[in-house]
Amino acid sequence: MQPNHAMQPIQWESVDQTLDHCIKCNICTSYCPVSAVTDRFPGPKYVGPQAQRFRAAGQAHSPDDSVDFCSGCRVCNEVCPAGVRIAEINARARAQIVADRGISLRNRLLGRNELLGKLGSIAPAAANLALHNPVSRLLAEKVLGIAREAPLPRWSEKGTFGDWLRKRAPHRLRVEDPAHKVVYFHGCATMYYEPFIGQAAVAVLEHNGYEVIVPPQNCCGLPMLSNGEFDAATGYHQRNVACLASFARAGFPVLGTSTSCTLTLKEEAPELLDLHDEAATQVKLATWDIFEWLRARLEAGELRTDFQPLPYTLPYHAPCQQRAHQIGKPALEILGLIPQLDLRESHARCCGIAGTYGYKTEKYRVAMDVGQELFDFVQAQGDDLEYTACDSETCRWQLEHGLQLEHGRAIPSRHPIEWLAAAYGLYDLAQRQLHPHPRGARHP
Amino acid sequence: MLDLLVIGAGCSGLSAALVAAQAGLRVRVIAKGLGTLHWHAGTLDVLGYLPGDTPESIPHPFAALDRLPAQHPYARLGAAQVEAAMETIVASLNRAGLDFGPSAPDSAANPAVNLLLPSPIGVARPTWRAPRAQRAGELTSPQPMLIVGFSGLRDFYPALIAEHISRAHSIAARADWLPLATITHRRDNHPVHLAQALDDPATVARLGAALKAQVDTGERIGLPAILGLERHAATLAQLEAETGASIFEIPTLPPSVPGIRLHKALVATLAQLGVRVEAGMAAIAVHQDGDVIHSVETATSSRPLRHRARAFLLATGGILGGGLQSDAHGRVWESVFDLPVSAPTTRQGWFRSEFLDPRGQPIFRGGLEVNDQFQPITPEDSTGAPLLHNVWVAGNALAHADAIRTRSVEGLAIATGVAAAHAIIASLGSPPA
Repeated sequence: MQPNHAMQPIQWESVDQTLDHCIKCNICTSYCPVSAVTDRFPGPKYVGPQAQRFRAAGQAHSPDDSVDFCSGCRVCNEVCPAGVRIAEINARARAQIVADRGISLRNRLLGRNELLGKLGSIAPAAANLALHNPVSRLLAEKVLGIAREAPLPRWSEKGTFGDWLRKRAPHRLRVEDPAHKVVYFHGCATMYYEPFIGQAAVAVLEHNGYEVIVPPQNCCGLPMLSNGEFDAATGYHQRNVACLASFARAGFPVLGTSTSCTLTLKEEAPELLDLHDEAATQVKLATWDIFEWLRARLEAGELRTDFQPLPYTLPYHAPCQQRAHQIGKPALEILGLIPQLDLRESHARCCGIAGTYGYKTEKYRVAMDVGQELFDFVQAQGDDLEYTACDSETCRWQLEHGLQLEHGRAIPSRHPIEWLAAAYGLYDLAQRQLHPHPRGARHP
Repeated sequence: MLDLLVIGAGCSGLSAALVAAQAGLRVRVIAKGLGTLHWHAGTLDVLGYLPGDTPESIPHPFAALDRLPAQHPYARLGAAQVEAAMETIVASLNRAGLDFGPSAPDSAANPAVNLLLPSPIGVARPTWRAPRAQRAGELTSPQPMLIVGFSGLRDFYPALIAEHISRAHSIAARADWLPLATITHRRDNHPVHLAQALDDPATVARLGAALKAQVDTGERIGLPAILGLERHAATLAQLEAETGASIFEIPTLPPSVPGIRLHKALVATLAQLGVRVEAGMAAIAVHQDGDVIHSVETATSSRPLRHRARAFLLATGGILGGGLQSDAHGRVWESVFDLPVSAPTTRQGWFRSEFLDPRGQPIFRGGLEVNDQFQPITPEDSTGAPLLHNVWVAGNALAHADAIRTRSVEGLAIATGVAAAHAIIASLGSPPA
């Protein structure tokens, strides 16, 4: 066994060396949603495998700054026939620039969504008022460079997900059988902005007879990875691994409703940061997108299918961070079982927001232009749409924002787990809350 | 459970999936990345040249198939079966809106003739069928040509193309340039972005006006293959109406827009049949019980994903497509099932001394050996006993073809893909109701 420090450079090389597999076929460039709309990003092939040959650690000037315009959507990886890890090469190049030159206050702030979530949740109504007004947004744009139109979330004014868990504790399902216990990784957005996503997830899992364990956890670190702060992200990931590894070793699956958080636990953090120790690997292998895990239950004949009909036309967009899991589209397979739900699959490449990318003044327009494909797809699905569906929180916010701005339509977006909870009769899609007396409770 | 898992989303995998799904099988296509169709010229080449050192191209592709060596995949099928397979896929492509033209009413009395179309450098390229947008470039017609390029678009040189055409054919061909700003104000351009820009009728109108000012009466106009992606047929019709001239596309270096149109048409047709084409799924392991494969695993961001199926079609391509891997020591292996590969055993044996030797390079005739059902066998095994009970092989992974040199890439892919699909359908029997 090699000592850990000796493995570092070898692993770092292994991502970078995939550039040698590039045959310059340009399939990545033809599918890159960013280079399709802006000259600021010349495309994955140039910025990734080609420019990489001119980069070296600690060099005075990185050969190109355009890598900062890579949104990290990973469509290039998805379509590359040669297996080049283009998005990872770009992420590391950005981290090198940050290491060489430092990071802006804005990018440091955007990387700290957990801290922002905590601060705002002290007095969420006041925080929403303070942030979501034209003067503050103009100020944030001028001083920080956060686009004033960008779809920033609102703090939950009905308490955090943690508050709900504490209140709900006496009524939560407890089971003896360890095979019927799962761990839930909620992510920052569910904790501070959208606690109802976590409520829907707990309700669906309990409906299927699973006890849901929610151990202490922190931000997955992805916002920091995306903004090139690898050192800070390392700390966050290692703390999560410390919290989750014992559950993983005991065989409990770690399920998440945020596709980018689960992708970070599975792959982004271990691969970009080279954290391949036993504990990190156990967590990587135990982590599931919640629909990926529900699909496995379905295939094993263990998923309840007592669905109520949901008579809606529903455009569904699998976000790029979901597609990067490389698990197909399990949400589509499960929601496809709900009677009368007319699912319309989006083949748009990306909504544009890419985490915090579309919040930035210089990238806001790029993100909106990237998302146009998705906004137009939804628009084409008819005049009487009530909702859309998408697994990722920032993408849902962007989708709502884009439909409003580009097509003048107020169409709320919901997570597939909200749809599933609604189909089980547990959840109110419009109010985004659990029914006080679910069907099962009324008729035991 | 799936009836059929197709591994590979190139021309052979998608064609086989189409035929199998039309027969009612439950099919999924997985691929490491997007298929090699993105590198194709968008035409359907059946046979342009015979192997060996004959420099002349073949006029009648199907009639020439019986001159191929007995081991060639075409020889296993015979001309009639190859032609029927090609017509099946052409019918689907025509329905999907890619106009490959009507079929000859009586192919026995009127054997199919290869078209001769200009290559990206203006050299004659024999092909069996071409989409409507390329057919007006027929080099046997004496009609004069105006070849138009765009200053700033790399790798398309109208003067070179025009010179090659007028030297080799009795065609008056001249070249001209338009500023790229006619189409876009973007700085860094490649064919796909330009094609997307030409999905906009206002942009097409601008291009039409610029071309009309340049074209002389009686000339046809050759352009790089960028005439629209999603609204291609409408773009072509609008441009011809605005210029009053016949327009033809000349394929470009990859990414190739006509190849992408072909890919999109096949994927859209499969989607209508309920078949998912999943890119970004590289096969990394197989589970088997003796000679029966139960499942293939693909890499994910965490634990592998298992795809269970009754039958598996290996359509992963040759060396370029990634179906065959090689190392510096001359070893060549098949990437999913590790099937035995028939290929020169030393690196010295891969190549002849001349890069452009007309006999081709021996390594490109390497590949997998199959029986008449397109199931993999041990090389030299005359019994034809399949190595795996429920695995079939199609396309450029097959040995003895040298498809690029003989200009038979799409024909080989489609004919063997369709044949393997029929063998699979027969083997599985009727799908469970």
